[in-house]
Amino acid sequence: MEESPLHPFELHELIPISLFGLDISINKAVLMMGVVVGLAATVLVIGGSSRRLVPTKLQSLAELLVDFIRGIILDTMGKDGMKFFPLVASLFVFILFSNLLGLIPGSYTVTSQIIVTAVFAVSVYALSVGLGFALHGVKFLGILVPPGTPGWLLPLMIPIELVSQLARPVSLAVRLFANMTAGHTILGVLFGLAIGGGLLIGWLPFAFTIAMNALEVGIAFIQAYIFTVLSCVYLGDAVTLHGHGDAHAH
Amino acid sequence: MPQFDTHFFSSLIFWEVVSFGILFWVLWKFAFPPILETLEARERKIRESLEQAERHRAEAERKMQEYEAKLAAAAKEAEALFTAARERAQRVQEDNEQRLQADAERIKGDAQREIEAERRKAIQDIRNQTTELALLVAEKVVGRSLSDADHRRLADEALQAVADASRKG
Repeated sequence: MEESPLHPFELHELIPISLFGLDISINKAVLMMGVVVGLAATVLVIGGSSRRLVPTKLQSLAELLVDFIRGIILDTMGKDGMKFFPLVASLFVFILFSNLLGLIPGSYTVTSQIIVTAVFAVSVYALSVGLGFALHGVKFLGILVPPGTPGWLLPLMIPIELVSQLARPVSLAVRLFANMTAGHTILGVLFGLAIGGGLLIGWLPFAFTIAMNALEVGIAFIQAYIFTVLSCVYLGDAVTLHGHGDAHAH
Repeated sequence: MPQFDTHFFSSLIFWEVVSFGILFWVLWKFAFPPILETLEARERKIRESLEQAERHRAEAERKMQEYEAKLAAAAKEAEALFTAARERAQRVQEDNEQRLQADAERIKGDAQREIEAERRKAIQDIRNQTTELALLVAEKVVGRSLSDADHRRLADEALQAVADASRKG
């Protein structure tokens, strides 16, 4: 237990690369990104290439993923939202595979890096805002005024809604990063206890490690789902601008 | 926390954008279109199959009702035919019985009449023969011959007397 429980999150340069003075060295997280992309692309491309009516196993998996994301989009954005399908589905697949592959001992969880989740969150949010202004022009500023707000409340409502809007990318990024980090930290601490405790008492934290690992698989899936659903909600808000009429709680 | 170490931010951002870009392009080009198409094709197929099954079911139901109606009609017809046949059989039987009885009566009557006629004829024969015999005897006894007609009349009168006497007696 001499090591910090956050030790597994540390990165070390493996192959130093520099591009126009920008440090783009290969480290463990970057390697994992490659594994994630390779595996996800393999599963979906091979699974999608067999277009049988009665699906094969890999085809079932690929179709399950695609159908799941299609369900999310249709639920949150309706049929028009299907034009975002490639983006939203790629996002979900990338995050899901990162979360799940990170659970393999010795691997690295890409999404436990705040900068990685922040890039996704800020990009999605920036896209939603850009889309809103592109579709509705200045009227998109109306997103800061919930429908039915009386005029005298505007000085109060606009700052509140502004904060709520700015909290969107932050909460999106922090939620995923914190869940992944916390889960792995707990696993690390429990496993450290199991090793440190020896045979006499060590079996207890070891059993907890196994139970936590099962829980983490569920969390890996749920967090990918939440990130995707909220992305869809933000994009849908930008497209319809109060079209659904109900404000989404954060 | 090691995650807040900005030293790795540049490489992480760069490779994230690159790797996500590759994944997005590959999936967009090669994975999603066939999968979505397959899903839609399957949904279409399932919907069509269900509709077809519904159509077949309705048709089967209609046919069954038709057959049931036909069966009921046939049963009714059979019942009517059976009743008619039974009535006819009864009528024929009754007719036959009547006719047989009538035939029997007639045959009996005929037989009785025939017997009566034969009996009379036999009596007549006996009477004639007796008369002739008596005449023969009388001729022998009297020794002279009366005219045939006289003989006969006399004999008849005698026999009549005998018959009357026997009837009264």
